[in-house]
Amino acid sequence: MTLRLAAVALMAILAGLPLSILPSLGALAALALVVGGAGAIAASVPLATAGGALALIEYALALVVAGPDPDPVTGTAVAVGLVLLLASIHFASLTQGAAVGYPVIRSQARHWLSIVALGVVGAAVFTLGGEALALALRGAALPLVVAASAVGALMTVAGVIALVTAPRRDA
Amino acid sequence: MISRPTGLNLSFLTLIGWALFLGVLTGRAELMVVAVPLVVALAAGRRAKAPTAAWQISRQVSADRLVEGERVSVTVTLRATEPLALVELLQPLPPQVWPERGRNHAFFSLGPGQEVRWTFELAYAGRQRLRLADLHLRLWEPLGLAAAETRHHEAHSEVAVYPQVAPLRRPPRPLRTQTFVGNHVSPAQGEGLEPGDVRLFAPGDQVRHVNWRATLRLGALHVTRHHQERNADVVLLLDTLADVGPAGASTIDRAVRGAASLAAAYLARRDRVGLIEYGGILRQVRPGAGRAQWERLLDTLARASVVFTYVTRDLEMIPPRVLPPQALVLALSPLLDGRFVRAAANLAARGFDLVLIAVSPVAAGRALVRGGPVADVAARLWALEHRAYLDDLRRDGLTVVDWDGVEPLEAALARWHRPRLRRAHA
Repeated sequence: MTLRLAAVALMAILAGLPLSILPSLGALAALALVVGGAGAIAASVPLATAGGALALIEYALALVVAGPDPDPVTGTAVAVGLVLLLASIHFASLTQGAAVGYPVIRSQARHWLSIVALGVVGAAVFTLGGEALALALRGAALPLVVAASAVGALMTVAGVIALVTAPRRDA
Repeated sequence: MISRPTGLNLSFLTLIGWALFLGVLTGRAELMVVAVPLVVALAAGRRAKAPTAAWQISRQVSADRLVEGERVSVTVTLRATEPLALVELLQPLPPQVWPERGRNHAFFSLGPGQEVRWTFELAYAGRQRLRLADLHLRLWEPLGLAAAETRHHEAHSEVAVYPQVAPLRRPPRPLRTQTFVGNHVSPAQGEGLEPGDVRLFAPGDQVRHVNWRATLRLGALHVTRHHQERNADVVLLLDTLADVGPAGASTIDRAVRGAASLAAAYLARRDRVGLIEYGGILRQVRPGAGRAQWERLLDTLARASVVFTYVTRDLEMIPPRVLPPQALVLALSPLLDGRFVRAAANLAARGFDLVLIAVSPVAAGRALVRGGPVADVAARLWALEHRAYLDDLRRDGLTVVDWDGVEPLEAALARWHRPRLRRAHA
């Protein structure tokens, strides 16, 4: 139950974060909180995913309407929240009715934090790489940039799908 | 062991897709940044390997034979030779078995060389052969994105739960006895303790048998004869054609407890006891005596259950070595299926010494229905109907003992008294 309450708190932060950019998105924030919170309480990963997607839409709307300066730190925070939300709710759904000791929860928290730290480093590298690329491509023709981006995006999506769907035989 | 992706991957992909889509749609770099930790987590989860043969596991069960009401403890020992981030252990339980203390599902996290002992206690409804299925072991990637599953088979995974036995001081006395020495007073006269007829002295009679009082009164030497003490053959006929009541307290469960109590009482008197399970499957145990026979009877009784059939079994097909003609037949039945009553009446008509112990289905059936005035009235009507049916059977010449299955069988048997026979039949 503690894990579920923590997930509800996480969902509240995720839904509340865009309100600091644009406070008029209260209704959408409330909807995201209700859907995600229900997912957290019921330990339902699909509901939590829906709540997370709503929080993302709310964040995107806030960015478009308010138009603040680019802030990769907030974006990273939202991503970290989403990773922890999915991991915690999935773990809560797994352990429903099972005996779970504190060492297991400690070990899980350690693993999650290490993956999140890796994600933060990845986001930082992505941001810095983007800055460097922007400097390098300054003055380049727009069709060239668009074509390169499209190829890059396609390869990324193909790589992720191949990584996820390929069955791996360990033994 | 194959590591498979879980449904959580789809959730991550959905959020990544939304972040990229919204990023492209809005042209905001922050939304692209949101996708990066999600992609990193997805990639890290997929790279995690499920260790193979990185553990030793064993399962011990506290007992392989139990009596109803006793609890069985299951201890699982897991030892890791490599780090196991998240291990899920599940002991599937058969129906009518539940964890009484602890859980049959647990998660562990083990470092290399670390050992964990996981114990839980199981309770069950009534006698049965409790078969523990293979232990399921699942190794999870820490984020839950992939899992590898295997099963652990343990050779000793069956626990026999025997029915409870209530002490019976006076089980029904058989009309006919066998040739071996036992505890029953036989109608036949010979060597024994129980005094029988008095007759005139004949050459060869021992002086210690002279009845001096009769001799003085009648003016001629008279001797007292004695009843022999012999054992008997008892066959328990268990009706498993129909059952009613909750698991562990159904009519068959109650009849089985009664049969076990009767078997224990007769075996303690050095009688030979056999068993016929009259149902979809006709199980038979030849009459025998001793400890081994007791185990055989308990094993058969623990398995007794309803196997539906339209076939009417003919007891005439049962060989005499299983159903000896001189045996006392104790039939235990809820009298819910007319085929059993006809078979019992047929046995009585063939000259078998038959006692029908009618295990009332009313109390067992009432336990299944919620309380209420309608249910109460229905139960009372059913009880009246059952009693009338028993009276009909008595009028037809059957010896019937009414037992509700709740009170001790001894009390039900005490209400029915069989007169002691003094005359030899053969």
